[in-house]
Amino acid sequence: MKKIAKAALAAVLLVGTSLSAAAVERGGVMTYGRYADSLFLDPVLNDANVDIWILSNLYDTLLLPTDDGKGVQAGLATEWKVSDDGMSVNLTLRDGIQFSDGSPITPADVAWSLKRAANKDNGIWNFLVSSIDDVTTEGDKTVVLKLKHPDPAILAALTVFNTAILPQKVFEAAAGATDADKAKVFAEHPVSSGPFVLQSWDRGSTMKLVRNEHYWGKGEDGKPLPYLDGVTFEVLPDDATRILKLNSGEIDGAEFIPYSRVEELKSAGNLNMELFPSTRVQYVTMNARPQVNGKDNPLSNPKVRQAMNYAVNKDAIIAIVTHGVGKPMTSYMSSATPMHTGDKPLYAYDIEKAKSLMKEAGFEKGFDTSILVLAGNQDEIGIATALQQMWAELGIKLELQQVDNATRTQQYRDGVFTMREAAWTDDIADPNEITSYFVYSPTIDALHTGWKNEEADKLFDASQKEIDATKRAAQYARIQEIYNAEGPIVPLYETPYPVALSKKVHGFLQIPLGNNFFGRAWLDK
Amino acid sequence: MPLFSFVLRRILQMIPTVVFILVVTFVLVRLLPGDPASAMLGDRAIDADVERINASLGLDKPIPIQFLYFVKNVFTGDLGTSIALKLPVTTIIMQRLPVTLMLTLMAALLALILAVPLAFLAALKREQTADAVIRGTFQVGLSMPVFYVGILMLTVFGATLKWFPVGGYGDTFGDRLYHLFLPALTLAFSFSAVLMRNLRSSVIGVINAEYVDFARAKGLRPRTIMIRHVLRNALISTVTLFGLQIGTLFGGAVITETVFAVPGAGRLMIDSIYGRDYPVLQGLTIALAVLVSLTFLATDIFQAWLDPRIAR
Repeated sequence: MKKIAKAALAAVLLVGTSLSAAAVERGGVMTYGRYADSLFLDPVLNDANVDIWILSNLYDTLLLPTDDGKGVQAGLATEWKVSDDGMSVNLTLRDGIQFSDGSPITPADVAWSLKRAANKDNGIWNFLVSSIDDVTTEGDKTVVLKLKHPDPAILAALTVFNTAILPQKVFEAAAGATDADKAKVFAEHPVSSGPFVLQSWDRGSTMKLVRNEHYWGKGEDGKPLPYLDGVTFEVLPDDATRILKLNSGEIDGAEFIPYSRVEELKSAGNLNMELFPSTRVQYVTMNARPQVNGKDNPLSNPKVRQAMNYAVNKDAIIAIVTHGVGKPMTSYMSSATPMHTGDKPLYAYDIEKAKSLMKEAGFEKGFDTSILVLAGNQDEIGIATALQQMWAELGIKLELQQVDNATRTQQYRDGVFTMREAAWTDDIADPNEITSYFVYSPTIDALHTGWKNEEADKLFDASQKEIDATKRAAQYARIQEIYNAEGPIVPLYETPYPVALSKKVHGFLQIPLGNNFFGRAWLDK
Repeated sequence: MPLFSFVLRRILQMIPTVVFILVVTFVLVRLLPGDPASAMLGDRAIDADVERINASLGLDKPIPIQFLYFVKNVFTGDLGTSIALKLPVTTIIMQRLPVTLMLTLMAALLALILAVPLAFLAALKREQTADAVIRGTFQVGLSMPVFYVGILMLTVFGATLKWFPVGGYGDTFGDRLYHLFLPALTLAFSFSAVLMRNLRSSVIGVINAEYVDFARAKGLRPRTIMIRHVLRNALISTVTLFGLQIGTLFGGAVITETVFAVPGAGRLMIDSIYGRDYPVLQGLTIALAVLVSLTFLATDIFQAWLDPRIAR
């Protein structure tokens, strides 16, 4: 009986989806409330999520991420083939693709864009495509990437914002002597390859995008994408104002709903409270150097770090700070990151184990230490106060030092902090970015903690050239095992992206990497 | 021509003030921990990128050298390029400062419209019900934080009654005035409370002065006495307060602009401090220093007009 009911439900759901699919409506402008304005719309030279997360609406990439953010699908390229030795990638461009000014997107544009992205002197994202040695073209449809070494993440990299395709001629014709100068001019009135074109931008207030008439994508009704006539971003930095404006119907969607209001908006009849799966992890970084600022640092002892991990009641923090929206971490990388392993929460709360570890480490009576907290940030202050109480059980006296972001970054980069709170989101659908920063010591000394593990470093080096997916997964399983057991962090929780949308919005997507896709969004009339 | 030389003297005095503020800002922002590249690139920056970007901004040179370059550029009207926004600082300031100016002006006007008549009413009905009600209401206005008044206004007049938009900034001039009304009212709320209390007590002081008794004895009409003798004399201290408070009003605009999503200079200032965007901070400081100095100047001139003894 139960089975039949389930089948019936599934049938209803299927009919439901296909009905809504048939009923796609075109036209209208979707207004979206953002917490902060963009800064610089250049795919290669930008450095902030406020840019990254909307860039794919303006600039298309050769490949596109799948909706779950883990795989790749056709973008400007329809076919792609990695050679057997892994040293080159052949890509075939889609027929008839054009930039928003109507000019064709050629292999030359592609080669130039990719070489610009891989140039060491350009921006901070070139490491994602550092394996690219050269890009050549064959005929009017084929592009060949020649690699320095086999790169298992190269296809994923071709979906990332910094490998977006720009019109070489228009960019180079822009005023300015250097690439950076030209980028400033170009990014004011960019020529798009994505579903939308920048129409106007009132800094700090509104950014208006209109549909790119030359975009290649086709909708469910067989006509060109996007469905919308345009997207308007309104910058609404205050959380309460953003929600009020959504409730009053002046905007159609709002990002970064504070966790404390997610429950309330879930029950609002006029809204869909979406929690998009994300790669965001929240954790505490611990300096693992034997001495910090000339003083002995107990955190350099792996047993102390483990003890402090066991003494933190993650469920309590998730309940207090995220109002139940978050979930415990099962590895240092999020469960939405490819090759993540681990099925149970790390360091389940166990105060007795924590105390005995402290005793083994010779710190039975505890010690004094400190943590950097972002001044005025309620989530960080909430976490730090909870940690203060939880660690007091071990005799650890935690001093909270509230500082602004630039001050904290300075201490962090100099390696003179003791502990800090931090969050991370992946930019590429591959475990290599987070692992390079968290684990691999040559990048930034494992989150500037001075932690180093020879085996993990070697495994990472090998995994960066390993094109056998099974072998690579095994390498990553071992790296996670090492780091989760003795690494320099206290994993706290994963959280989704909380976005509230008016009931009339359909097809909007934020993928686990954070990118907002308006290309398939549509509005009820 | 005492007034003319007085104004000239005051303008000349402004120059060292602005230069002093500029030097202090220039040095102070550089003494803050953190640098633009780290602030911009965030936690993930690797050392090579930070050094490359700071060098491209000329920040690897000693501070005195940087200052010389800066002064040289200021004299050619170039305030530099924003590190975060990649736009000329003058362009950004021309976009954002007028918004804050309009907001502050509207708030000041609304505050005057509220404060002056009510202060007179309260002074004339001293210790009566009207006085108590007026003073009580303004006391509440004074003690409520600006962001709270702002959210309250948005909820009541924006989201519920729908008389005004829920924050944001329009496209046309009229639309913008409409959008700025609620934030201006929010700012005016606490500002008018300060003005009202001050004006009320000065009016009470002046009303009992001998020259007012004399004017009354002369048989002048009450309205003439009120405007020519009471108002003019009572206003002197209030005008001083008004001028001094304009600076505070700019400060209040920072919070108001955030709550009401108004793209003004206050928010720009905060963002530039967090982002260590030195050129924008320097440019904004110069602009604000000049503006506040001009406000003080206008205050002085108005006072000199109210009481010619001041200009001597």
